[in-house]
Amino acid sequence: MTQPANSELHVPAARSPHRQVLDNGIVLLVTPNFTADIIAARLFMRSGSAWEQEHNAGLLNLLASLLTKGTEKYSSLEIAEQVESVGAGLGTDAATDYLLLSLKTVSSDFEPLLQLASDILRSPTFPESEIELERQLTLQSIRSQKEQPLSLAFDALRRSLYGDHPYALSALGTETSVASLTRDDLLACHQQHFRPDNLVVSISGRIEPGEAKARVEAILGDWQAPPTPLSALELPEVTSSPSTVQLAQQTHQAIIMLGHLAPAVHDVHYAPMKLINTYLGNGMSSRLFVELREKQGLAYEISTFFPTRLHAAPFGAYMGTAPENAVKARDGLCQEVKRLSDVRLSDEELEATRNKLLGQYVLGKQTNSQIAQIYGWYETLNLGIDFDERFQAQVQAVTSEAIQATAQAYFAEPYLSFVGPEETLEQLIA
Amino acid sequence: MPDLQLRPRRHYAATPAEILRLDNGLTLIYQPLPSEVATVDVWVPAGAAADSCSYSGMAHFLEHLIFKGTPTTRPGDFDALVENCGGFTNAATGYDYAHYYITTAAELLGHVLPTFADLLLNAAIPTEEFERERQVVLEELRQAKDDPDWVGFQALINQVYGQDIPHPYGRSILGTEAHLQAQSPELLRQFHRHHYQPDNMTVVVAGGVPRDRTLDWIQTHFVGQGARQGPVAQASLAKDPSTKDLIAKGLIAQDRVTKALTTPPKTSLKHPSQQASRQVLTLPNLEQARLMWAWIGPGLEDPETATGLDLLTAILTDGRLSRLVQELRESRRWVTDVESDYSCDRLGGLFTLTAWLDLEYLEAVEQAVQTQILDLQRRPVDLSELKRGQIQLERDFIFSLETPEDFAELYGHSSIIPDLDRVFDYPQWVQAWTPQSLQKLAQQYLSPDQARLTVLRPQS
Repeated sequence: MTQPANSELHVPAARSPHRQVLDNGIVLLVTPNFTADIIAARLFMRSGSAWEQEHNAGLLNLLASLLTKGTEKYSSLEIAEQVESVGAGLGTDAATDYLLLSLKTVSSDFEPLLQLASDILRSPTFPESEIELERQLTLQSIRSQKEQPLSLAFDALRRSLYGDHPYALSALGTETSVASLTRDDLLACHQQHFRPDNLVVSISGRIEPGEAKARVEAILGDWQAPPTPLSALELPEVTSSPSTVQLAQQTHQAIIMLGHLAPAVHDVHYAPMKLINTYLGNGMSSRLFVELREKQGLAYEISTFFPTRLHAAPFGAYMGTAPENAVKARDGLCQEVKRLSDVRLSDEELEATRNKLLGQYVLGKQTNSQIAQIYGWYETLNLGIDFDERFQAQVQAVTSEAIQATAQAYFAEPYLSFVGPEETLEQLIA
Repeated sequence: MPDLQLRPRRHYAATPAEILRLDNGLTLIYQPLPSEVATVDVWVPAGAAADSCSYSGMAHFLEHLIFKGTPTTRPGDFDALVENCGGFTNAATGYDYAHYYITTAAELLGHVLPTFADLLLNAAIPTEEFERERQVVLEELRQAKDDPDWVGFQALINQVYGQDIPHPYGRSILGTEAHLQAQSPELLRQFHRHHYQPDNMTVVVAGGVPRDRTLDWIQTHFVGQGARQGPVAQASLAKDPSTKDLIAKGLIAQDRVTKALTTPPKTSLKHPSQQASRQVLTLPNLEQARLMWAWIGPGLEDPETATGLDLLTAILTDGRLSRLVQELRESRRWVTDVESDYSCDRLGGLFTLTAWLDLEYLEAVEQAVQTQILDLQRRPVDLSELKRGQIQLERDFIFSLETPEDFAELYGHSSIIPDLDRVFDYPQWVQAWTPQSLQKLAQQYLSPDQARLTVLRPQS
């Protein structure tokens, strides 16, 4: 394939962030990008639903939703007014391994919104009445998940994969746990996690690194960390004991989902497993798509997932299929995943998978929000911003022997999760 | 050949886009951007509205079958070509158009374009691929039927458009199982040959690719194969009385190729009839009730009026300060969410408003929404509400133009309106509204006696 040089257009060199650590411990990453009049910022707290247990599941999610509902200076409506009157975007979210505040503005609105973001992180008040509202909304969201067969299947799979480990739980929590959370829980959680030496601020857009640093220092520089050391998260080891879970529902499609415990981001098997995930389930040329959809017409949606996690991540493969095809679909799915332990990828397959993974990785770093997210996230997971390059080098170095070894290490007997009509489930477990 | 330059706008792109009409009739929109990425997005004005009444789902089915190869490209080869060099490809079908796009590293676009053009222009639709892909589309339909919001929306548009004469926007884009079973490879091939010709395509290329090379690629590869055939299944259209009605009433252009794109029929708003109605659906597996309203509005022929309706959606449901979120979610706590949207197509637009709620608040919320809608007609909105809505829409417009894909999407959507160079006027149109003009707009389009309401209730 020829790759003609691009002579007529000025294309900016690959962007990489400027990294600085402020005196109070805040890690600041700035990626200047002057193509649009936009600044995106992602403020990460090293925290997340991984810090929860069965009894307080959903705590971080509830906390995230309440951050914008009142601070020492502003009421919920005043916060909304500051954001909406300039048409900015400001949101909060609790993920598995971090808690996030996302900001998007035109460049002239950035400073006041960063000021507001600081206020939200540093002095939320968790008003009782807002807690009740957000609790009711969360409970309704938990119930609404039951309207989505795929979400039901994933929930059940996650439970059986992880047992007592916090990765077993949905970030929303359970109806029981969310009902029991109190304002004191929120205050204690805020005190534990929200401190400058636990914060990563990642900015991308129309701003110079020097200016960004000056603004962040002026706004967040006087936030002092308490003398107590940051707490570390100790999690139980997860051991694999495969099982089959099922849920009867009168649906038009049966959901077939298969799962395995898979490597954490620090593991040597991480890059090979990313390649396996791409090979099996990414896009219309992926193995599952071609074998089960294109050749057999068994599904419309068929895919795999393998998220990047600090601890053992879930790997899953799933499809929706007509109830009468459920057994065939399950056998096909299991066989295709298992096959990677038995068969080595050809050189062409490996090369194609590598190109696909790396090419799409680059396409995932286009918008300011995406750029701010990826670098901030790597910093938050203590991978360092150079993980961006290291990961690409790791992928380049993976051999087909390594892929087979990873499959053999992780793809023993699968966990299975089914949702569908009762008769179909009976056939599936017969 | 250079026809028209889109006026440059400071905030959006440093270099303006160009619209070029090639000798074979193909429209090329070229948007250079300082990016390592490029997108090519091909728009064909043959969406679900081009389906005949007895073969609903055909345009969407064809969108699947396009990827099934040509005399010189085997099924699956194109997907592998694009994805194995790190690119991304997909397609979508709306009512007015189907579109197909690829995003890759800029220097690789030329590597994948020839096969892309081959698929679109020379689709073979092999019989056995047709049969297998029909199973896939049926799975897509099954999956949709397990989604209550999809089921509710289908019922709503059917209620809006399907009462006197079946309007094309009242049908499901996916079609029905019976209609899909009735289609044949030959029918799809005819549909393809009729619509997928260079003079019926708009190709948008955006990103870090040079102009000369882009022009060269498109001129070389987007070449039609022989003469167009008569309008799709002319015979089957003629046999279809309701479609004949639509043609007679100007709702479907018989030859959608040229004129149809520049002169949308003005008659579209007269149909369907403007009468209020309310229907209730009971669904299994439903955890929350829904109230789904719709009002008919102007189509793409009147984008300035459409921005006024966008503003009303912002005032009603955009953000915590918006009227309905403020009242129904934050204050009274009757709904878990409330959203509104104005979607604008060639034959008309639709203003929709949806609330998700517990069954016990159904009556209260129905009443409260109707009161707020009436209020928009009885008194002008506050200036502060208007200003907030205006800046929200203006900023959303800026935020929606970051990547080559974003630009391609905007131009492609707009390529079916007559004045593409006006796409960047959107913020000015938004600014032109006043409390008084919005009040008149609400009186004209959101009147209670034109409201359609679909209620979704859980099976007890």
